[in-house]
Amino acid sequence: MIDLFIGEFKRTWIQTLRYPSEVIGGVVILTAVFYGIFLGTQYMAGPDIAFGDRLDTVVIGYVIWSLVLYIVNDIATNLQMEARTGTLEQLFLSPFGAPRVFFARAIASLTLRSLLTLVVLLIIMTISGSQIAFPPILLLPLATLLLGAYGLAFFIGSLALVLKNVQQLLSLFQFFLFFLLAAPTENWTGPARLIANVMPILPSTGLLRDLMAREQPLDWRGWAIALVNGLVYFAVGTLLFHWAEGKAKRQGSLGSY
Amino acid sequence: MSELLPQSSFSPALESVDLRKSYGSKKTRFEAVRGVSLKISPGEVLAFLGPNGAGKTTTIKMIAGLIRPDAGWVKIAGRDPHRDPQALRGVGAVLEGNRNLYWRLTALENLEYFGTLRQMNRQVAKAKGEALLEAFGLTDKRKVPVQKLSRGMQQKIAIAVALIHQPQLLLLDEPTLGLDVEAGETVKALVRQIAASGCAILLTTHQLNVAEELSDRVAIIRAGQIVTEQPTQALIKQFSKGTAYHIQFEGALDQTQTAAILSLGATLESEHHIRYFPAGEISEANGESANSESANSESASGESSSAAVASATLYKILHILEPLPLLEVRQDRMDLTDVFLQLVRT
Repeated sequence: MIDLFIGEFKRTWIQTLRYPSEVIGGVVILTAVFYGIFLGTQYMAGPDIAFGDRLDTVVIGYVIWSLVLYIVNDIATNLQMEARTGTLEQLFLSPFGAPRVFFARAIASLTLRSLLTLVVLLIIMTISGSQIAFPPILLLPLATLLLGAYGLAFFIGSLALVLKNVQQLLSLFQFFLFFLLAAPTENWTGPARLIANVMPILPSTGLLRDLMAREQPLDWRGWAIALVNGLVYFAVGTLLFHWAEGKAKRQGSLGSY
Repeated sequence: MSELLPQSSFSPALESVDLRKSYGSKKTRFEAVRGVSLKISPGEVLAFLGPNGAGKTTTIKMIAGLIRPDAGWVKIAGRDPHRDPQALRGVGAVLEGNRNLYWRLTALENLEYFGTLRQMNRQVAKAKGEALLEAFGLTDKRKVPVQKLSRGMQQKIAIAVALIHQPQLLLLDEPTLGLDVEAGETVKALVRQIAASGCAILLTTHQLNVAEELSDRVAIIRAGQIVTEQPTQALIKQFSKGTAYHIQFEGALDQTQTAAILSLGATLESEHHIRYFPAGEISEANGESANSESANSESASGESSSAAVASATLYKILHILEPLPLLEVRQDRMDLTDVFLQLVRT
């Protein structure tokens, strides 16, 4: 299994870095979009607007949104692209089984994406003057965030396997994610709090904002909820993917797009 | 090449029994594959032929575990790919119309990656990849991204990738499609080499001359059912029975000779060309019996007596021609294309 991880890691990095202009273009676009939002808000609200703590939460929200959006789309986009290029069926010929192969390649592409996201984050911080903390403990809510995001990725991947064309759905999902990540759920109470706990990713994003923007200590109870949330979404996502693989094999539509 | 590929064993590399697959719901339901059974031994090449939509690709994908059959079972070297993922270690596939490769990766990177995907150790995969590239004459292209190689080279690499984990069974769907003559010949030579090393090959192609050259046996599928499955040469021979004999000679026939020849049932195609068609044997060869397995059980004595009658007449014609110089005596021979067309049109 470790050879598969290394193999996927190598494949992903080589495929991406063989054409560096694409990577640079991606970083520039991600940064430019943020800068556009940043300047646009300042223009509309007037030059005296003070983002203060809000700026840091906006920066974190944006960066997490771009990372999660990439992860959630990753498996479905990969499936569609490989179906078009003709390598998809070769993946399903692996004795490892498709869920393990796709998980390995998702992790491999995450390493690359994380690096790019870090670069974008540093540029944004320089441009906007944001002061974000990076305590090592942020890796815990980040891990639960990734679990939930991969759960969603497998869910969307399942739809791509069965329904084939999910581009429209992916576009809609962007807004859903934007809502999930922008909502300040850490302040919610009562039934709204309960809803926030069961929605995908939400428990982790609140914790990340607390840690990085507000420099608060980790709320362990909140993290336990985020962990359960992440594990449940990941388990449901991978089970659905397994079911979708069987369904596509029964339909005879595995390699078609 | 032999050290790269599996050693022969006596158990079949592939055994599929009564495979069935239907698509669509009640009203639009159609049976794509209706009870297909195939068996291939190590080192054997089976050409799996049929017109478009006959069920070839569905069958191949059921064998590879990519489409789940409604009924029937598949075993690759004794393991069912639909129940046991490890069975997939025994199969390699080059699927039709697909690139089967990552174009941004080099030839060697592709081989190494697909090796790890087939549960090989990365270093072993790399070493096997190097050896396969050498065997396929592509060592100098090992570090070139696949997208920069010719179509023929890409196809050779796709075959090498399918062989990286030393499968017992290789599925080749249209391996020579779109290749120029030279690349096509190279791929054909490779297929022969791979089979000689003990790997069983299931080959589908619409290029029937390729199938005829490469295959030991032929299975022809029509509307989801196998209509014949026989050794390639036996099938061609069976259909060639009752075809015309041609005798070319020098010199001129006198009236007596001409009358004698015509009385034997032969015809004069030209001044120096006699055509003799053994009567009464056409239906035997081209009729219904050829469409089923029962064609195989035709009695050997009947076959030899028909041939004896035809030969006796030929000797009589030759005797009449004596002492005119003979240029050629030959029998029309059908090829696999003729056989295929007859079988799929009936």
